[in-house]
Amino acid sequence: MDRRTFLKQVSLWSAGILATPPVFRITPELLASEPGKSKVIVGKGKDYEKLISDVLVPLGGISLFVKKGSRVVVKPNIAWDRRPEQAATTHPLVVKALVQMALDAGASEVMIFDRPCNEERRCYKNSGIEQEMEVFKDPRVKCVHIDKRKFVPVRIDNGKSIKEWEFYRDALEADCYINVPIAKHHGLSRLTLGLKNVMGVIGGRRGKLHKNIGQNLADLNTVIRPQLTVIDATRILLKNGPKGGNLEDVEVKDSVIASIDPVAADAYATTLFGLMPEDIESTRAAYQMGLGEMNLSKIDVISV
Amino acid sequence: MRATISYRLLRRVSQFLFLLLFLCLFRLTDYSGSDDIPYAVNIFFRWNPLVAASIMLAAKEFIGLLFPSIIIIAVTIVFGRVFCGWLCPLGTLLDWANPLIKPPKKSAFRIPQIKYVLLFVILSASLFDLQLVGYFDPFSILVRGLTFSVDPGLNYMVTWFFDSIYFHGPAWLSAVSEPVYSWLKTTLLPYKQTFFLLSLLSFVILVSIFILEKLGRRFWCRNLCPLGALLALFSRWSFLRKFPVKSCPDCRKCAEDCRMDAFENNGFLMNEECNLCMDCIYDCPNSVSAFKFMLPRNKTPMRLDRRIFMESSLAAITLPVLSKVNASHRIPLPYLLRPPGARGEKEFLSMCVRCGECMKVCIQNALQPTFMESGYEGMFSPRLIPRIGYCEFNCNLCGQVCPTGAIRNLNLAEKQKFVIGRAYFKKNRCLPFAENTPCIVCEEHCPTFDKAIKFEEVLKTDGKGNSVKLKQPYIINDLCIGCGICEKVCPLDGESAIRVRGKTLMVS
Repeated sequence: MDRRTFLKQVSLWSAGILATPPVFRITPELLASEPGKSKVIVGKGKDYEKLISDVLVPLGGISLFVKKGSRVVVKPNIAWDRRPEQAATTHPLVVKALVQMALDAGASEVMIFDRPCNEERRCYKNSGIEQEMEVFKDPRVKCVHIDKRKFVPVRIDNGKSIKEWEFYRDALEADCYINVPIAKHHGLSRLTLGLKNVMGVIGGRRGKLHKNIGQNLADLNTVIRPQLTVIDATRILLKNGPKGGNLEDVEVKDSVIASIDPVAADAYATTLFGLMPEDIESTRAAYQMGLGEMNLSKIDVISV
Repeated sequence: MRATISYRLLRRVSQFLFLLLFLCLFRLTDYSGSDDIPYAVNIFFRWNPLVAASIMLAAKEFIGLLFPSIIIIAVTIVFGRVFCGWLCPLGTLLDWANPLIKPPKKSAFRIPQIKYVLLFVILSASLFDLQLVGYFDPFSILVRGLTFSVDPGLNYMVTWFFDSIYFHGPAWLSAVSEPVYSWLKTTLLPYKQTFFLLSLLSFVILVSIFILEKLGRRFWCRNLCPLGALLALFSRWSFLRKFPVKSCPDCRKCAEDCRMDAFENNGFLMNEECNLCMDCIYDCPNSVSAFKFMLPRNKTPMRLDRRIFMESSLAAITLPVLSKVNASHRIPLPYLLRPPGARGEKEFLSMCVRCGECMKVCIQNALQPTFMESGYEGMFSPRLIPRIGYCEFNCNLCGQVCPTGAIRNLNLAEKQKFVIGRAYFKKNRCLPFAENTPCIVCEEHCPTFDKAIKFEEVLKTDGKGNSVKLKQPYIINDLCIGCGICEKVCPLDGESAIRVRGKTLMVS
């Protein structure tokens, strides 16, 4: 099944016409990583908005991802009721820059959402992201709360550990999905990076996924395939993650990492914490499933 | 003498505006995008003299928050029970429900002295630390009814209606209904669906007041309302009075039509029963009725005598005694958690109005009404039930809206250190202990800056005989504040494997 048929099925299912959940079968060809070496662009600088546009240049620029009329999802981490300096949520300026670029590239709609762990209004507000999105005063920018009705069950045929889970329709239907996680410490999975950020677009009782977190995340990432991953490492949380709170646990890095390959982006980000890619279960599992490259020696790291 | 502006119209406008104010404040009793609620959403409780009297008697201290009740008392001394006729939202709703309920013109069943009995029972019990005001205070009954049943019930129905169209209706219909639904959600409807214990009970109590109208107009206000009784004590000698004080013997229309049944059989008006609805001015066939400022002189006895006062006050002493010997207070209640900032259990119960404001404002729907767990006098007091909702770390709204300070208005830094209870693990169910399976969702969510849940890495054997590295959680007692998020998010089905225990609550 191709993407178009799948989306049609999702719509029909949501309209109550189909009795069984739609199936999204990823073909092995699609799963295989892009031909050629995976590129990871690392940018460093104090001007976060400039930084974002700089890191996209070696990847071919935003227009490679966002076409005229595209429906774009920018998926930050807004999971916690924390302020930007506490490094538990994606930096609002990083989100803002990506939304601005998507708009400039002619997106018909840019959606920004997450399914938070704390009270959603508090998270959107205190992360600073809602406020930055209001600054646009542009009807194409939609920073809205999750609408529970939009979760649709999806069969994950390639999943090794989970075979079905609920996903958010807007995330499935987007023409371009830009993943914008923050790099931070996490008790169970050691770090939370790009692959783990998919937790914000799924329904159900997410805590149940912790039993086998690495493989489960890889399975979920066979369904949500971001066209672009931009990891916010402007400041990173080193301890007491993923929720943090204490400013002493935060280290300012003024960096962002961009890649088309979600596994490669995560793999490189581990080095910011003095870890290796294989220390993170989800990175390992996703690599083994062919979702991307994790060997740093096989990744082109370009600094800008 | 007819007035040039219609006082009746003025009264109706006032009733409408105060009901509107009440409903707006009700809706605004929610997180507004700012940590602080900028409006005095609890003002209807804070200017309520019955609440002020009973709470201060029980607390044996002056409570500044309740100072606005002086205004209502002053207004009552000058104008009489305008509060009941012009302001009280419950009274307004009763008046508005008239065409629906069609109360009988002549009330056969009269028990006006009962309101005084209730008043003295409440005040006398308060003096002996037993707080009963929540059972009978009209605003408490109203706000609880709205919070626990009417508001969530209406929202549920509206949501069901729009969801049905969304899921099963044709696309063109959704295209119309969805914008209407989002508009409703940003205006009239609550931000999200809430769920409450005791929703049926609080609904039945509220509806009973309306059903009682079948016995006569304003039956509750005339016969039962202890707040009305308290105001009657002040309005007996108020200055704005009906003239003539006696209905004309050949007509008696004003006496027969009076919604408050305020006329004695001999035709004299009992000033303390009149709620100044002004109907008698405009319905008088001879146009002789008017309201004037006069020196207070009463020609009728009150429907209250020394016997009622003495007997009800003395009889009420049995209630605190019965409460003291109730074994409920001898049972430790480890899972009865009070809101952050709540005073000690005994003081808390004597100062809580059971108004429901804290439960209305709680953004995680975590605060729920207690039933009989802490004795009959604890009914409708708030408790935190983490499996329903946890206490949000950065939120202190319940303390902000509490009208009496039973939940202290702690600032955020104080609140984040306030210990509601302490979490403990049930290791025979907790996955890393009981099933050698990774989990620690609790640790992930723990909100204290230095996490109260930590973990140690251990080597265990899994079901296939493989050696696995496991993270086993444990609690640092001194860091835990008992917010309950761990209990809420524990992925086990049914009972959580981590639970918050409160301070063992025993009243005496």
